[in-house]
Amino acid sequence: MIQLSVNGTQHQLDVPDDMPLLWVVRDVLGLTGTKFGCGIAQCGACTVHLDGEAVRSCVLPVSAAAGRAVTTIEAVGQSALGAQVQQAWLDHEVVQCGYCQSGQIMSATALLQRQPAPSDAEIDAGMAGNLCRCATYTRIRAAIRDVDAGGAA
Amino acid sequence: MHSSKTLFGGLALAALSLHVQADDQALIERGKYLAAAADCVACHTVPGGEPFAGGVEFKLPFGSLYSPNITPDQQTGIGDWSDAEFLSALHEGVGKDGKRYYPAFPYTSYTLMPDDEVQAIKAYLFSLEPVSNTVPENTLSFPYNQRWGMFFWNLVFHNNERFEPDPSQSEAWNRGAYLVEGPGHCGECHTPRNFAQALSSSQPLAGNLVQGWQAYNISSDPAHGIGAWSPAELVSYLGKGYAPGKGVASGPMGDVVSHSLRHLSDDDLSAIATYLLTTEPQSEGVKRPDPVSASAEPVSDAGLGGQLFAGACAGCHSWDGSGTQSPVATLSGLKTVNDPAGTNLLNILLRGHTAPELRVDQQMPNFAKAYQDAELAAVGSFVLQHFGQTGASLSADDVAARRGNTGH
Repeated sequence: MIQLSVNGTQHQLDVPDDMPLLWVVRDVLGLTGTKFGCGIAQCGACTVHLDGEAVRSCVLPVSAAAGRAVTTIEAVGQSALGAQVQQAWLDHEVVQCGYCQSGQIMSATALLQRQPAPSDAEIDAGMAGNLCRCATYTRIRAAIRDVDAGGAA
Repeated sequence: MHSSKTLFGGLALAALSLHVQADDQALIERGKYLAAAADCVACHTVPGGEPFAGGVEFKLPFGSLYSPNITPDQQTGIGDWSDAEFLSALHEGVGKDGKRYYPAFPYTSYTLMPDDEVQAIKAYLFSLEPVSNTVPENTLSFPYNQRWGMFFWNLVFHNNERFEPDPSQSEAWNRGAYLVEGPGHCGECHTPRNFAQALSSSQPLAGNLVQGWQAYNISSDPAHGIGAWSPAELVSYLGKGYAPGKGVASGPMGDVVSHSLRHLSDDDLSAIATYLLTTEPQSEGVKRPDPVSASAEPVSDAGLGGQLFAGACAGCHSWDGSGTQSPVATLSGLKTVNDPAGTNLLNILLRGHTAPELRVDQQMPNFAKAYQDAELAAVGSFVLQHFGQTGASLSADDVAARRGNTGH
């Protein structure tokens, strides 16, 4: 049994140690906001927070998350910063098809937590592992800058 | 009366035969363990082929050798070999009918194994299904195709003698010394070779370039060898293929872990660590980088290499090289990021790290088709400069040269 904290709720899970966290989140806990993209940590669609850091859940064995706080897109809006990132996403109408966007929002929130006022170059570097095939990158950048302008962090 | 005698006799025979079978089974199991320790399967199996059926090509400067079929097939394998012939092959490098082997076959190491262990390996091999497989003829050029010449080579470079424990050392040390120098034949890759392709007696375990990979210095030198590793780190590396911040076994060494070392007992792996930490330090080869000062913050002005690292690498390796999802992805502290030639770095970028027994967080995809030579050179250079201290950079030509040279 694995003791896992997801979005503030404790779960006792009977899953193999090496099951990727993404499978646990989506298939066992039914939290399907986090997406499967590439399965090899190359696209960022599966990004969640582990103790506030952005991690790729498709290559994170669930055992490595035990005893730490997992936050998914379903709960990121519960923090003031996360809520402001989501609002900025709405204000800028960032989303096109939307598939990568939960990963984008998770990475953006972790970036802003670390670097409250990132430059464009820092945004590019910090968000670089999150691909968007609709190429919403310029709107993502604008939304992140907007959160900074709002003085959230 | 008569029938009970028969019954009794029959039972006794059955019991005897069961006893013999149990003995045989124990011998075969012992041989299986020793064959794993000696990693026979690595050289005697082609990728995807039948285990031990031979045919692996060894490219030498003067032609190619092919490993023989060592399954018990009568025609194409070793099915008609006697115990004495098998012993002679492993101890003296002389096979059936007096055929002298080349030292690609590590009989100069296996010679340390006692007779009963060699026979256990034979019993194991003979318990396998025979596989009919005729391997290609060697293509060595003259004079290297003259097997009799090995007689003189052996006079100079081969000592036909068994392992002698050193009574002044612990049991674990002696066990480790035996495993490393004998069946494990570590020096065959990790010790430089001299002009005659014999292992250099003056630089044991000082590292060597083998099959396009750096087989690093594994002497006890802290900067160049494994002297700074803890015994637990060595056991983890040998048994699991990684020791975060020290090394990850990939390429041919990944195969050694997969085929051989992970099947050894923890006691034997600890014994190997005990011995390796006491070997003569050799200050040769690639130096371990200092603990990395790389910042955890993204680098936004590092050019093409930094951009590629951000997109393709940082998600798992982190900007400070500590490994995001798994400590196995730790880059800081690895010799691979401090080798100015980027040998293993480029090999891994091109081949990936994808053995099927590796857990998902320990695997790395290959980037051979995803990026062009100039891009891989840029990201390779960024990694060397960001995590190592050599200041080296790689060129597109370096990548092109590596592309054709990452096979086993």
